[in-house]
Amino acid sequence: MRYLIEHETVLEYPHTVREHHIELRLSPRSDGHQKVLSSVIETDPPSELSTYHDYFGNRADYFCVIPPHRTLITRLRSEVETLKENPFSFDPVPPAEEREWLNKELGANPALYDFILHRSLLTPAIDKLAEVIETAIPKRDGTRPMLESLLELQAWVSSQLEYRPGSTEVHGSLVTSVRQGGGVCQEFAHLFITVVRAWNIPARYVMGYLDPGISSTLETTLATHAWAEVLVPGAGWIGFDATHNLLANDHYVAVAIGRDSYDAAPQRGSFKGDSAGEQPEVTVTMQEIS
Amino acid sequence: MYNAGMSSSKPRTPYHEFYADDFMPRDHYRLLWDHIKATGNNALEAKAHESQLALQAEGVTFTVYGESEEGIERIWPFDLIPRIITAPEWTKIEAGLKQRVRALNLFLGDLYGEQKIIKDGVIPPELIYQGRDFRREIVGIVPPRGIYTHISGIDIIRDEQGEFLILEDNLRTPSGVSYMIENRVIERRILPEFFNKYRVRRVEHYPSLLLAALRSLSPRGKDTAEIVVLTPGIYNSAYFEHTFLAKEMGVELAEGRDMVTINDIVYLKTTTGLQRIDVIYRRIDDDFLDPLVFRSDSSLGVAGVINAWRAGNVAIVNAPGSGIADDKAVYPYVPDIIRYYLGQEPVLNNVPTYQMTNVKDREYVFDNMERMVIKAVSESGGYGMLMGPSSTPALRKEFMGLVQENPRNYIAQPVVYLSRHVCYMDGELEARHLDLRPYVIYGDDIEVVPGGLTRVALRKGSLVVNSSQGGGSKDTWVLAE
Repeated sequence: MRYLIEHETVLEYPHTVREHHIELRLSPRSDGHQKVLSSVIETDPPSELSTYHDYFGNRADYFCVIPPHRTLITRLRSEVETLKENPFSFDPVPPAEEREWLNKELGANPALYDFILHRSLLTPAIDKLAEVIETAIPKRDGTRPMLESLLELQAWVSSQLEYRPGSTEVHGSLVTSVRQGGGVCQEFAHLFITVVRAWNIPARYVMGYLDPGISSTLETTLATHAWAEVLVPGAGWIGFDATHNLLANDHYVAVAIGRDSYDAAPQRGSFKGDSAGEQPEVTVTMQEIS
Repeated sequence: MYNAGMSSSKPRTPYHEFYADDFMPRDHYRLLWDHIKATGNNALEAKAHESQLALQAEGVTFTVYGESEEGIERIWPFDLIPRIITAPEWTKIEAGLKQRVRALNLFLGDLYGEQKIIKDGVIPPELIYQGRDFRREIVGIVPPRGIYTHISGIDIIRDEQGEFLILEDNLRTPSGVSYMIENRVIERRILPEFFNKYRVRRVEHYPSLLLAALRSLSPRGKDTAEIVVLTPGIYNSAYFEHTFLAKEMGVELAEGRDMVTINDIVYLKTTTGLQRIDVIYRRIDDDFLDPLVFRSDSSLGVAGVINAWRAGNVAIVNAPGSGIADDKAVYPYVPDIIRYYLGQEPVLNNVPTYQMTNVKDREYVFDNMERMVIKAVSESGGYGMLMGPSSTPALRKEFMGLVQENPRNYIAQPVVYLSRHVCYMDGELEARHLDLRPYVIYGDDIEVVPGGLTRVALRKGSLVVNSSQGGGSKDTWVLAE
């Protein structure tokens, strides 16, 4: 599939701010599952962007607006081709050899340990979750194929939380959301990741876009979506969208990955001047093109 | 347990730096001893008084933080009787420190690069990936010549047998060097006759060594290097030192708000406009260095400075990310780190250390808590620490809980009875425990300044030398051959 994605973020301040530094993780990733055909970022006021790839391989675009201003707008326009039609098409590794497969990957690339070991408010230790969840947290049965266990877990996660638009704060505590029984895509992804990590399997957070034709959530305005990726023996990274209880396929466009949503935040900034905790106004459109 | 080798059958009497036995000083203290005996306590009292006046006049202070939020500024506590290190002793210390700093810098380059040491199974991945000071934000950036720790302050103690051991590596923003110099200035003034009798090696050139090392890092070449000392401000406990070093080197002292990054270039805001900065000697922690990258609530740092560093437009000293190498949970592995990168045996040993992630070690420590020091791995300055011998049962229980909650966050060491030295305390010569922090500069080559800060636990019997916890200091004389 080919998509045209436009993502506009408007920041407005009641008083002027200055020395404003912004780092964006907005441009889709190029990897085996998708090809970025074009990606252009513009800012208003116009600025000179510099680009680098961060620790997680995300493209980061960085700029600053030094003089006083009250409005700052960033616009992304990107064309992406997605390739992963069927996430189930891979040669599975027999269950008895799955652990060995993972250990080999971890040995060759120690950075993967982050996706097992990382704990934060967003992806807490499993016993913190156990205190607020009434049903038993699924256990991993090592004699069954890992993908089966993960699909069951995904179904369990989607039954644990109710989708409540605007119910949570960005980067809020997962334990709080679970206690309240609701959240948005980010909480579904974090809950799924938290259990997979307790199983000693690498799981990472993905921020990206989902074809609005697929989305069943009640959001009236499209924004970014979030799901999880798990390193599945024989397959590599497979995307699990616990919000929709679906595996990610070519309707998904991945932008940034990380240990949790904080690493993959689309925009972070720092400025001088008074702030009243302004929320950015985000408009996203995603349309299929030929 | 690493570097095991300390058995309970060894003597528990601390080594005395000054006395060989009850009656006689060690050879290298003989001259000083004869003089003290000949002139008597009145002369010492006069000199102690003189040193106090000099410290006050020079404004040599440090700040203690207690129960009140605002620190209290105190006159730097100084004991006039010098600590003397012989040339052969120093030769070994110097070799050990150079070896250690070389290996730790190779380690940092590897951690933020290929991570061969993890892939080869020498360092467990958990140690790094669960370390608070492993900075993912700087992976892939190679600092000039691969040097991370341009300034290291390495704490050395002397065990009961008189062997020098490494207690702690300080690779972030080690402080105290200004006091090393001030102590020498005062000592020269009050004991001038001894600087003729003893051939004491100089330490006063430290600021010029530091300046040369900073200049050598300038992206625009050392001749046009514009340098600042970046301080968190007047409330920092080491503010005296920040002003001291800036003044001695003849460079600007700046706070984060005095600087701005524009399109990957860092500038100082001056009365005549923006001035480009090449080298930042920062005395603030990584966490506060750049609100765009690290803690977003920091107002002490300079937004965009990490991207400027990545672009190669500014040098940051010490390099961000250095803290993972002085994480106390990494410390037990330093002998292996030296073997791995240099293929050498360590010249100076570690203090035996128990890792709380190891169940057997942990149980042993819990059974012997009165004989242990338990330390939080990311704390310094004597904070977050349990001193077993002087601890209460309630405190021991509290620490047991803390360790169980987060074992990666703690290590334990058997209490080492730090060596003692005579100090002039209220009219008497009394023995007090002490340690030594020499300073290592890694510029074109690695240089150890012959001397260091000798810190003294002023309270009788105390083993805590940190100035934040009531420690004092002595001038440290390293003798020429």
